[in-house]
Amino acid sequence: MKKTHIVLLVLIMAAIAALISIFGDFSSYETFESAAREPRKSYYIIGNLDTTQAMHYDPKVDANHFTFFATDKAGNKSKVIFNGEKPRDIEKSEQIVMMGYMDGETFHCSRIQMKCPSKYKKDQIAVGNG
Amino acid sequence: MNTIQYTGEHLWPGQLGHFFVILSFVAALLSTFSYFSAARTEHDSIVSRKWLNMGRWSFMTHALSVIMIFGALFYIITHHLFEYHYAWEHSSLDMPSEYLLSCFWEGQQGSFMLWTFWHAILGLVVMRTAKHLESRTMAIIALVQVLLCTMILGLYFGPDIKIGSTPFMLLRHAMQNAPIFSTPDYMRSVTDGNGLNVLLQNYWMVIHPPILFLGFALTLIPFAYCIAALWKGDYQSFIKPLIAWSLAGGAILGTGIMMGGAWAYESLNFGGYWAWDPVENASLVPWLTLIGGLHTLLVYRSTKRAFIITFVLLLLTHLLIWYSTFLTRTGILGKTSVHAFTGDGTALTYHLLAVIGLLLVLSVAMLVWRWKKVPRVQSEEELLSREFWMFVGAVILFLSSVEIAITTSIPVWAPLAKWITGKEFAPPTDPVAHYNNIQIWVAIIVCLLSSMVLYMKYKKTDSRKLGKQLGISGAAALVFTALIALGQEISSGPHLLLLFAACFGIIASIAYGITVQKGKLKKMGPSVAHWGFAIMLMGILLSSYNKHAISLNTSGMSFGLKKNSQNETIKENMENVIMFRGMPVAMGEYWATYIGDSSVSGKDLRTYYKVLFEKRDSISKVVTESFMLYPDAFMNPKGEKGFSANPSTKHYWNRDIFTYINSAADKEKNDTSTYLSHTVQKVGDSVYLNNGYMIFNGFSNDIKDKRYQSAEGDLAVKARLSVYDVNGLKQEIAPIYVLRDRQYIIQIDDTVEAMGLYARFGSLNVYSKDSATVDVQVRQTNPMDDFIVLKALVFPYINVLWIGVILMVFGFIISITDVVSRKGAL
Repeated sequence: MKKTHIVLLVLIMAAIAALISIFGDFSSYETFESAAREPRKSYYIIGNLDTTQAMHYDPKVDANHFTFFATDKAGNKSKVIFNGEKPRDIEKSEQIVMMGYMDGETFHCSRIQMKCPSKYKKDQIAVGNG
Repeated sequence: MNTIQYTGEHLWPGQLGHFFVILSFVAALLSTFSYFSAARTEHDSIVSRKWLNMGRWSFMTHALSVIMIFGALFYIITHHLFEYHYAWEHSSLDMPSEYLLSCFWEGQQGSFMLWTFWHAILGLVVMRTAKHLESRTMAIIALVQVLLCTMILGLYFGPDIKIGSTPFMLLRHAMQNAPIFSTPDYMRSVTDGNGLNVLLQNYWMVIHPPILFLGFALTLIPFAYCIAALWKGDYQSFIKPLIAWSLAGGAILGTGIMMGGAWAYESLNFGGYWAWDPVENASLVPWLTLIGGLHTLLVYRSTKRAFIITFVLLLLTHLLIWYSTFLTRTGILGKTSVHAFTGDGTALTYHLLAVIGLLLVLSVAMLVWRWKKVPRVQSEEELLSREFWMFVGAVILFLSSVEIAITTSIPVWAPLAKWITGKEFAPPTDPVAHYNNIQIWVAIIVCLLSSMVLYMKYKKTDSRKLGKQLGISGAAALVFTALIALGQEISSGPHLLLLFAACFGIIASIAYGITVQKGKLKKMGPSVAHWGFAIMLMGILLSSYNKHAISLNTSGMSFGLKKNSQNETIKENMENVIMFRGMPVAMGEYWATYIGDSSVSGKDLRTYYKVLFEKRDSISKVVTESFMLYPDAFMNPKGEKGFSANPSTKHYWNRDIFTYINSAADKEKNDTSTYLSHTVQKVGDSVYLNNGYMIFNGFSNDIKDKRYQSAEGDLAVKARLSVYDVNGLKQEIAPIYVLRDRQYIIQIDDTVEAMGLYARFGSLNVYSKDSATVDVQVRQTNPMDDFIVLKALVFPYINVLWIGVILMVFGFIISITDVVSRKGAL
């Protein structure tokens, strides 16, 4: 066997081992309900802001504490605690992707990504006073 | 049918632009065919010559048309012709002129145009330099130009089926349902455009995209040369130009990527220069394969080995550029990327897939066709040879790119994986740790290899000499590793290995340049580039390992031991601190105080928040160092997404203090304070304030205030007041009182912003020549109503990173000049 082949073989084995380990790193999109089955394990949850219930953020008390309610894709509602400042314009978001874990009845969220309605999608134009 | 005769539109620039879009497409098509024919008729030099000339002229026509398209769109944007959708969507009247250029590449059509433009320019260079490979390389370049031109062709077959989208679309066509277009003179109401996304209003936006797209474009030339070499069956003459072009691609694409990092660091609030964001990864992956291919190409030049892997890597590099366009432009990354590209729907997705498929089939077919005849060396290479370890390094770079590509592509393959496993795959919950944990090993191995191969020779290396040279560098590196590890408190195993690798890389590369190359700069390209690479890794290690927040939230939250990554993430989010105006907050070795904000009038819509950092001597409490940082934010740009912050950074030679605003009080909403009257009579009278006092120093009619425009018949007087805060600091203010034409009263307030103090000269009551009272009205905002939420990070030794990047690019440039200046085919 050529040395190149041996080295390639070693590298391929290392690559396969790495591949298995990286697949272990991958998370999945869950619902509040399925995430609750594994408390304190982090997942992504896609949902919407529940605008019928109050949001709470008071930076004078704690700039890193924001609570709100969200509905996931399956329609479950849950209280969400976000350890961070309130994302601006979360009220306007069409969809939010939350990363965090369930602990009891609340979802502890450490990252939020919002999808806001694109300004271009609206079939409207800002009309000036010409 | 639409029969309205619209008025007030300027249709000719769009029609001209559209004409040139079509001309550039047709010319590229003709050029492809002509060059193709020139290659096919090579045996007949007269016929071939004719085809070649036709190919040249049509490509030049194509290049000129591309420039004209640019000109037409530039005219539309600079003349604010908002009847065009592109101008309306990406520019506005109040936009500073330097950003007018950035409007080009904010939109998708514009960035395709930029890409086409660079291809056209590079194509002209190849046309003049490729010599007998011209017909074949240019046929490929022209073919890719045909494909790129379809992206801006804008041919519509019904509402959902289209080929490309034209940048010259009219607003009324883009939004046919809007009621406004039922009036012929709708242009009277369309007075301004949407403007550029505020995140992009930054000088990096002017310079970064052109460089990055030049880097993208430069990968086409190696692609074209590879196909041309296979096509012609000539495996010798392509080597020199291919090395030069690959070096240029590596340098420019690398610069473009790191400029993106610098942009992110300097003006976006990622909190760093690299976040392993899918959009960043999408351009890093082709760079890795390009660098891999460049090195195996060097192996091929010297030993005729590694032909297949060279071609696979260099062909793949260009395909990956298309794939990265697919990832970033179609919106498929959606919820996994912070970059705000909007997708252009399914038409673009299929269009790009078709292009990638076509180029992939072409590449694979060429390789398969020539598979049996490509150069191979039967003998085995020596273990201690440059070619062997360069090959290993290239394979590792390739595997590294595969790993990044797999994780980045999760949204692409997740639907398939869901169909097989039923699980909906998502990116790792901590992507940065995920990539770092794997790529740190790549960095260690590649860094060690990159400095070791410098000392090795092609074919056979004297093992004793090599061992001696590497042993000395290794011993020196060990000493430095120990010193830095102690000084920087680096204790984790992989990081120590990386530290050693970087030390070794730095020392061995310098030693090679001095002792072996004797400092001959012309030949030192590789050693300088590898030196820069090792320095860059050192910078990455030092700045990220000890990166820490100093704006810690200490409001009763416990910071126990971090057991798992979830807690780490929460800690990350605990790194915001609220700062009330005027109240100092401890931040690391500094006391930071939010002084106030300043909205700058004019075109700049930002609000700058002044934060004073002071370092005090621990015993005497004397301020030993102080500086002001101005993190800023766009508050409510055009009623769109409310808040977008830009950081402000204090640079030291050995560390950066990086701050940005996460949130700020809406002062207009919060401020409920009102003016209270105080009467003062004689000099020395005082007024007590919430946080200090104020002394009346008498009147003056010597008024030099920019806000006061004197007029005839004015009676103007100012009250001179000294304001003392609780620390006894004194500041002079002078509110002005003007009686104009004996009837109008004008009051000009004066303020002490740090104290939230607004003073007004309320009224003047004259009783006699020597006796008058002043009604001084004072309003003080509650400091609790004015606050910011700030994050402050320390990046140690980040300059080492930038120096490394610059050196690496410099190494590439030395190598390019060396290759180009060499005589002969090699």
